[in-house]
Amino acid sequence: MDASILTIQPGSPEPIYRQIVEQLRRLIAGGQLRAGELLPSVREVAGFHAINPMTVSRAYGLAENDGLLERQRGKGMVVATSDNASHNQGARLRLLEPHLQQAARHAHELELPAEKVLRRLQQLLED
Amino acid sequence: MSAMIRERESATTAALDASGLVHCYEGSNALCGVDLRLEAGSVLGLIGRNGAGKSTLIRAMLGLIEPLSGSAFVLGEPALKLSDAVKARIAYVPQQPEALAWLTATQMFDYLSRFYPRWDRGFVLRTLDRWQIPANRVLAKLSPGERQRVDLIRALASQPELLVLDEPAAALDPVARRDLLREVALRAGEAGATVLFSTHIVSDLERVASDIAFLHQGRLLLHCPTDDTKERYARLWLPANESASAPDVALSRHGHPDGSVSLVVERDAGGRWPKAAELPGARIDALGLEDLFVEIAE
Repeated sequence: MDASILTIQPGSPEPIYRQIVEQLRRLIAGGQLRAGELLPSVREVAGFHAINPMTVSRAYGLAENDGLLERQRGKGMVVATSDNASHNQGARLRLLEPHLQQAARHAHELELPAEKVLRRLQQLLED
Repeated sequence: MSAMIRERESATTAALDASGLVHCYEGSNALCGVDLRLEAGSVLGLIGRNGAGKSTLIRAMLGLIEPLSGSAFVLGEPALKLSDAVKARIAYVPQQPEALAWLTATQMFDYLSRFYPRWDRGFVLRTLDRWQIPANRVLAKLSPGERQRVDLIRALASQPELLVLDEPAAALDPVARRDLLREVALRAGEAGATVLFSTHIVSDLERVASDIAFLHQGRLLLHCPTDDTKERYARLWLPANESASAPDVALSRHGHPDGSVSLVVERDAGGRWPKAAELPGARIDALGLEDLFVEIAE
């Protein structure tokens, strides 16, 4: 993997460190990044995207805390191998969370009753 | 006595440290009591509209103008009485560089390199080429953009501990601008350099700044870590029938023709938005930095 796999959008309401963590989460969950794979160094990511290295460090640190990455001595950050966090249900559910929140907000704005929305979601899930 | 204690404190902690800066030009207030401190290794992006006082603030912080009141320290020394030793550790690029205009870029670099023990000649040669600067034409005959690019190379080549750039992006095309941001980001991250730059290009600031300071009409409205800004502030919209319940404390407030109102609000210490956000019909919108600044500055 090299630094070009990440996309940085400064204009977005999402802070850059979160953009990096969420992209890593998706890339790992989607299998584009495999367990044990080496991540580009903080310097490579910062240099490639012209962003502050501290932002990259912070993102890597958070991803490590979330169990997405592991620090390997003398090597750098690799995609976590132990207890494959990306494939447990909690981690995958968290990926869906922003979309659920957005749907809930739209439902509020449209003043739709919760049971109607849930019924429709149920149908969609069972399809 | 207290000034001496202060001096010693800032010598150990801050690269730049200004407090209570007040300055006026011809009766209009340029700075109205600004406190601003840069920790070593930080990259502070100073943003504000034209005429907000950014250049005046920078010049006062570096001791290039004497403010009406207030104090400024640079690497621990009073800004108005900097020693040569401290001057050799800082580099400042003004919006319109004028020094040494009778030399060519090559001659100027050759001359200046003797004063800086860590002068990076390789960087100069690479960047002159990359930034397409006619190195053998006298500086006075270069365009303002070329002139500022030469000065940016001069500042970076000296490998300063403190780098201060006033609107550097204006003179650069997108490739050169990205080069500059990369240099700024990596030098701060690796060499521990401290950087202060002013800009009105919000995306630049977002990429490399560790902290943001927003100057508006001579006052600092906001100063916080870049990463936190987007999460700490948002726009609260209240419908007309709830507009009377708008919180008193807000960074900005705009009434709309239909009686509704928008405010820029901040989370409290517990991470909660003001109570009014829970009113029926109220809405909290996350903002990109650009929208946030427009909302505050309008």
